[in-house]
Amino acid sequence: MKKLRLSLVVCLFFALALPHQSFAGFPIGKYRDIVVPAFNYYTQTDHYDVYGNYVKGAPGARFSSYSFSIFAGYGITRRLDFLVTVPYLNQVNNLGTGNKTINSQGAGDMVAGLSYNIANYNYVRYLSVQVSGVVPLYTVPSNTTSALGLGDYGAEIKVMFCGALPDFIADKGYFNTEVAYRRYFNFQGPDQVSWLGTVGYPIGWHNQLSMDITVFRSFSSNTAFNINYNAERDYAYVKPQLNIGHTFSRRFTMFVGGYYVPYGINTGLGYGGALTAILKL
Amino acid sequence: MKTIRNFCFFAILVLIRFEVQAAAFQQEQQTEETGDIVLKPSPRSDNAVFKKNEQIVYDLRVENNTNQYTTGHISYVVTTDDGQKVAVDSIHLAINGSSTRNYIVKIAPKATGFYRINFIVNSAEYDDTVRRVFGVDPQEIRSQLHKPADFDAFWKQSREELEKITPRYRVLERRDLSTDKKRVYAVEMHSFDNIVVRGWLVIPRDGKKFPVHYRVPGYVVTLRPNMDNDDFIAFDLNVRGNGNSKDVINIGTDNYCLLNVEDKNKYVYRGVYMDCIRGLDFLCSHEDMGIDTSKIFVEGGSQGGALALVTAALDHRVKLLTMQVPLYADIHDNMAISASYDKQVFPFKVFRRYNTVHPGFTWDKFFSTFDYFDPQNFAPMVKCPVLMGIGLLDQFCPPRCSMALFNHISSDNKEYVCVPNSTHEVNMNYFMFQNLWLREKFRIP
Repeated sequence: MKKLRLSLVVCLFFALALPHQSFAGFPIGKYRDIVVPAFNYYTQTDHYDVYGNYVKGAPGARFSSYSFSIFAGYGITRRLDFLVTVPYLNQVNNLGTGNKTINSQGAGDMVAGLSYNIANYNYVRYLSVQVSGVVPLYTVPSNTTSALGLGDYGAEIKVMFCGALPDFIADKGYFNTEVAYRRYFNFQGPDQVSWLGTVGYPIGWHNQLSMDITVFRSFSSNTAFNINYNAERDYAYVKPQLNIGHTFSRRFTMFVGGYYVPYGINTGLGYGGALTAILKL
Repeated sequence: MKTIRNFCFFAILVLIRFEVQAAAFQQEQQTEETGDIVLKPSPRSDNAVFKKNEQIVYDLRVENNTNQYTTGHISYVVTTDDGQKVAVDSIHLAINGSSTRNYIVKIAPKATGFYRINFIVNSAEYDDTVRRVFGVDPQEIRSQLHKPADFDAFWKQSREELEKITPRYRVLERRDLSTDKKRVYAVEMHSFDNIVVRGWLVIPRDGKKFPVHYRVPGYVVTLRPNMDNDDFIAFDLNVRGNGNSKDVINIGTDNYCLLNVEDKNKYVYRGVYMDCIRGLDFLCSHEDMGIDTSKIFVEGGSQGGALALVTAALDHRVKLLTMQVPLYADIHDNMAISASYDKQVFPFKVFRRYNTVHPGFTWDKFFSTFDYFDPQNFAPMVKCPVLMGIGLLDQFCPPRCSMALFNHISSDNKEYVCVPNSTHEVNMNYFMFQNLWLREKFRIP
């Protein structure tokens, strides 16, 4: 009769639930919403040239970007999510001692698309694909450039694999990996390829530590350097980022993070930080 | 930069490949067999469920764990779930030592229902049988309801009698069992026939209001405080004769389901079903403890599956129902199916024994009581979303009976999960899905 006693694994699945992981890669869940407002600060004085060599900036020159973005996601089905990101940028480009300072503000490139969960592995790990469109929310007069972005429409495809860390690495924690390809519809491109890796680990009941590494490459026939990374086409960088997250409630988690660009090509050498809230509605 | 790009692609491919292999290994482990010749049949359909007019196909992997070249044959026999033979065939086996070989077994389409398929390997040195079950369009299975004419009146009267019993709830915080994350309370209440039943309430400390996971027990199973539930208040009720509710009824598993089986008014399950309702009464009268009475889900496995369904049927304060391998479902067909077993198992092992030693207790008499308690007769009264899990190799609760019950549920919002290689249980994958299902239905972040 002992066999009648149904295995009490029912208790265990709650314990196996993942910590409040970041949103990327994980299906949002049918009918559920997620909203992620984020503030981002970035600043640079120096840059890397087209050969990856360090170049010191002009005296007094500094580029700073303050951006605010809202990411929203809605679970249409168990596998299909709608995702949209709208950024608002405020950029200050100080050209150096005795030179003028250029300020630019406005909405940047909106990215909207659909994410589809191709497969799950025992509901512990997920493989998903995301297809998005890029829409500039600003206008760029002909024969000029904008500090807010390239001014071109684009499309992106992204493959994401995420879930709980394997047991032999850690008994808790999560990871997310993404490979993305983006193409802007302009004869100069660019074509952009990126890889993002994230590992998160809970520290205590409400806190977690996560680390991201982004490897980014943008290819274009237009190799002109622009100190504003939003407005240049041919460049590359590697960006590690460290984040600390605190879960205030089941619906509200905040992350604060900092990053640095230790290596790049034809782009700025800078650092920054991000304050991100994750609201699960 | 090209090197970095290549590295990134390589890294993610390795990672994905590793994860896929890890998942496959996990699956393999679940079905690991040992022996000189090992048969590993895999149905070519999700969860061994096929469609009508669809050929039944199994990939049959044969492993020769000896060092010798082996010949023989593999036969397979398909029967209905009540033992009627519907297909027999065999294939010649020839396999080198320490090697594997794959065969494909194809069987003509079958009508709606569940079928046993036995793969039998015979060689000069070794014989073995691997038993599997597959289903064909289980959502089309229909069964006859044997609902007594006064079924509704009987349960209405039972509830009225329950309401006359003053619950006299007692809630005692158990600091010795509580943790810094959760408070544990021992609760007790008076139920049908004034019998005291007890349970455990576990409330997370980090929040003010929570949905409720109300769990009812398996057959003479002791439920203890459920400490693993972070997003729900966990309420585990030991119905009469189970766990710490044995003050009056304290009998073993061999006789529990026979207690007063000859009188529907006194049959143990009348009080048991009412205990489950009393548990709901308790939850709904203690909102001040943080209980979100608009989000109560009831769950159980085996006997608990039956109790959960009956609770959801009789009381619409239950908003979600999840059950695994519900016991006693479609008791008439269960009896017919169990008659074909080589060896009797619960529950008809117990009922047949009683029938044998009580000559006056005819099967008609048995059903004249049990039809009031067959969960299937409650199924049309279930209106809330339902998730059910079944094991296809289950003999206590044959899959056909569980699906017959399921198909009688009147809720349009219902789902089921078949676990092909499980007997009287489901697997972790089911519970992972159930967790997501609950969060989806209750919009829990």
